[in-house]
Amino acid sequence: MVGSPVQLIAIPLFAAFLIPLLGKAWKELVRITPGVVILYLLYLSVDLLNYTIEHGRVVEVIAGWTPPWGIDLVFSPFSGFLATLMLFMGLLVWIYSYRYQTFEDYDDYEPTLKYYLLLMMMITASVGVVLTGDIFNLFVFIEILGITAYGLTAYYRHRDGAEASFKYLFIGSLSSTFLLLAIMIIYSQLGTLNMADIAVKAHELKPVYKITALVLFLVAFGIEAEMFPLNGWAPDAYSQAPAPVGAAFAGIVVKAGLYTVIRLIYTLFEVGGTYEYLIVMGLITMFFAEFAAFSQTKLKRMLAYSSIGQMGLVLVAFGIGKEEGVYAALFLMFNHAIIKSLLFMSGSYLVYKSKNKYISELNGVGKMMPVTSFLFALGAFAIVGFPPFAGFWSKLAVLTAAADSGMLLIIALILSISLIEVIYYLRVVNRIYFVKRDTDLGITKPTPQAMFSMLVLGAIILIVGFYPDVITGVLHKASATLLDKGSYINDVLSLSQTIN
Amino acid sequence: MSLGSNLDLLTVTFYGTAIALILIGLYAALVKRSLIKILIGLSIVDSGINLLLVSIGYLKGGTAPIFSPAVIDKNPAMVDPVPQALVLTAIVIGFAVTAVALALVIRLYRHHKTVNIDEIKNLKW
Amino acid sequence: MKKVIVLILLAVVAYYLVDVFSQIKFGENRFQGENVRDFYLDKSKNDLHVSNSVTSIVVNFRGFDTLGEVTVLFLAATALGSVLYRRKAHGEAVLFNASTIVRSGAHLLFAPILLLGAYVFIHGHLSPGGGFQGGTIIATGFLLMLLAYHDYKVSHGVLTWVESLAGLTFASLGLTGLILGKTFLENFLPIGTINDLFSGGIIPIIYIAVGFKVGAELTGVLYTMLNEKEYKKS
Repeated sequence: MVGSPVQLIAIPLFAAFLIPLLGKAWKELVRITPGVVILYLLYLSVDLLNYTIEHGRVVEVIAGWTPPWGIDLVFSPFSGFLATLMLFMGLLVWIYSYRYQTFEDYDDYEPTLKYYLLLMMMITASVGVVLTGDIFNLFVFIEILGITAYGLTAYYRHRDGAEASFKYLFIGSLSSTFLLLAIMIIYSQLGTLNMADIAVKAHELKPVYKITALVLFLVAFGIEAEMFPLNGWAPDAYSQAPAPVGAAFAGIVVKAGLYTVIRLIYTLFEVGGTYEYLIVMGLITMFFAEFAAFSQTKLKRMLAYSSIGQMGLVLVAFGIGKEEGVYAALFLMFNHAIIKSLLFMSGSYLVYKSKNKYISELNGVGKMMPVTSFLFALGAFAIVGFPPFAGFWSKLAVLTAAADSGMLLIIALILSISLIEVIYYLRVVNRIYFVKRDTDLGITKPTPQAMFSMLVLGAIILIVGFYPDVITGVLHKASATLLDKGSYINDVLSLSQTIN
Repeated sequence: MSLGSNLDLLTVTFYGTAIALILIGLYAALVKRSLIKILIGLSIVDSGINLLLVSIGYLKGGTAPIFSPAVIDKNPAMVDPVPQALVLTAIVIGFAVTAVALALVIRLYRHHKTVNIDEIKNLKW
Repeated sequence: MKKVIVLILLAVVAYYLVDVFSQIKFGENRFQGENVRDFYLDKSKNDLHVSNSVTSIVVNFRGFDTLGEVTVLFLAATALGSVLYRRKAHGEAVLFNASTIVRSGAHLLFAPILLLGAYVFIHGHLSPGGGFQGGTIIATGFLLMLLAYHDYKVSHGVLTWVESLAGLTFASLGLTGLILGKTFLENFLPIGTINDLFSGGIIPIIYIAVGFKVGAELTGVLYTMLNEKEYKKS
């Protein structure tokens, strides 16, 4: 083990304060430093993940006060897997962003500095959300995530970013209001903010507090996880933000949001009916999002709605519960991060010159940009779950999990909703390859570094598609950890007894 | 509802004011059409939440949680310092969000020359 | 119509809020046995020697939150700058100087305000107040000057330096604890006697850094926003 989990947060924070000074020495450092930091963190995180898979959770105490008194960070195979995934996606997004903007005044020093700072901190905050073991600390990280996301959504001044960002901010503020109220109720009754401690004491709560707190938490976290009906902000934010940021939203931010919902239901509270609630909400989310995606005329909005639909499927898988359900959900999250980011990255180059990003402007682009188009098509096939691509295995896992639990109706519903997905993705691929080009829009070649990120993602889709075993071991371990609530509580709270 | 059984004046004043602020703020945020008024609404909600949080930490007869030379040897009952620390964090975060929101409003105004959301409709609201 | 829906929604919210909070008795000692409140009060007095226990919670027990909080402010200033950035403004600014009385008054008050702010954050561990409060007071001093003189300049370079160095101080003090084999943000300096100016180990140092950082950041935010002047087409 080279480092401790707290470095995953502390080092980027340190770097964030340092970057404005480094920029004074050499401007290029503003672009390079975040990448170097993320690369180091990824190394650290992979190393920690290997360690935890062998030896179990690492619980890091902060400021010397053991839980439940102080704040703790928990690096388990589950949270560590998500953190590693986020950092990996973060690295690729950084590579893709490197010298991405080449027009207007976005190459000026100030916007560049701000873009990279916000991007790095968005990734850090997502990692923080996943690692923290304290409910108020979670609130702080969600707010950091929010502020960076608002800033990045409004980054382009020649789009309607400010509007999308304001919408996002409005809903985000309501979310944090509900979150604070819920934290307040928990603290007033249990006198603790530590998640493990809350999980132990949750049965002492009177039903009225428990239900109110649970509903408030679900609303607050549901907004972050793009759960229906609180996801109105997402398509606007995805489509107005710069392309790398859209990829980061799909690959990183929404994963942090989902994590909060899962932590809430699997660890914090045990209330009957929450699993069924997840299934129902997931199906409704899927249904509306896929129909909305079907009727979109703009490429990025279609991808955003499809992203929401996928999150619905993940919720269904988590709602099925048990080892297989959680395994399927984690596999879906992994695939979604990889594939949807690839779709955003390649898709935005396909319509780079277009102002409105209409799907019809993709006509015949396959001949002009063969590699990018191929990667987009690869992503499209993978996300709808065609064998032998990565997406196939995760969809199969969801269906198997549902079949094992005897939920045949759910299988039928998932399959029929997926059919819509297949139709609209194939429609796009059809336009790319088989429709004659009817616009005179020029094309922009991807930068070599952008091409590199996309190729890496494409390669992962193929590798996981042919040899799913490379990833399933970690996933099984992670899902077992999540379900083992007793050992989570024990690992966190046992520290307290050894010291006091 | 167990109203009436244990409600004294202080409870009504503090919780009542805080809840009233939250509701007023939510009303303004959801109904008003001006971006500035929506923001004012959100700030009022924040204030209400903060007031509620501080009220929860109050202890009857408790002093401020500061061991100043005058009280350190007397060991008095003290109010709960945790909600106060949480409120400090919440206030700062509220400020940060408001600042970003105002910047967005400035930019929207620069673009559309209005802050009425009915007239800013490039994206569906 | 929309108003009616909102009002119904608010009525539901109100019902549940009142229902829940009428059962939480105001001013009652709710916690028995070991609890966070008594633990913090006890340790603040006996282990940290910090007389303001709110400060010891903000900077030590929950110092990680505060590091996040400082980051939120920093990122808000960053996002604000990014949202409002433009290479050049078009037209001519419409601005007026305030009257002589306001200008003289602002000049007179400027130094005392800064001094008060510094006092508040230096004594954050002894009396009510601290880095956030002191920093805000300092920023109001600059706000006064910005309002009195339309051409009052705050150097962006200096602000960046203060902001970054203060943030680095906070983060490095945290990392030093880690390097010394303790935990992140753990105290490693002598704690002195309670109610002395030099007590509490790293807590006052961190709070002073926070004071500088908050002061610089709020001033930066105000300055960026005030530079968004109304322009007359020329």
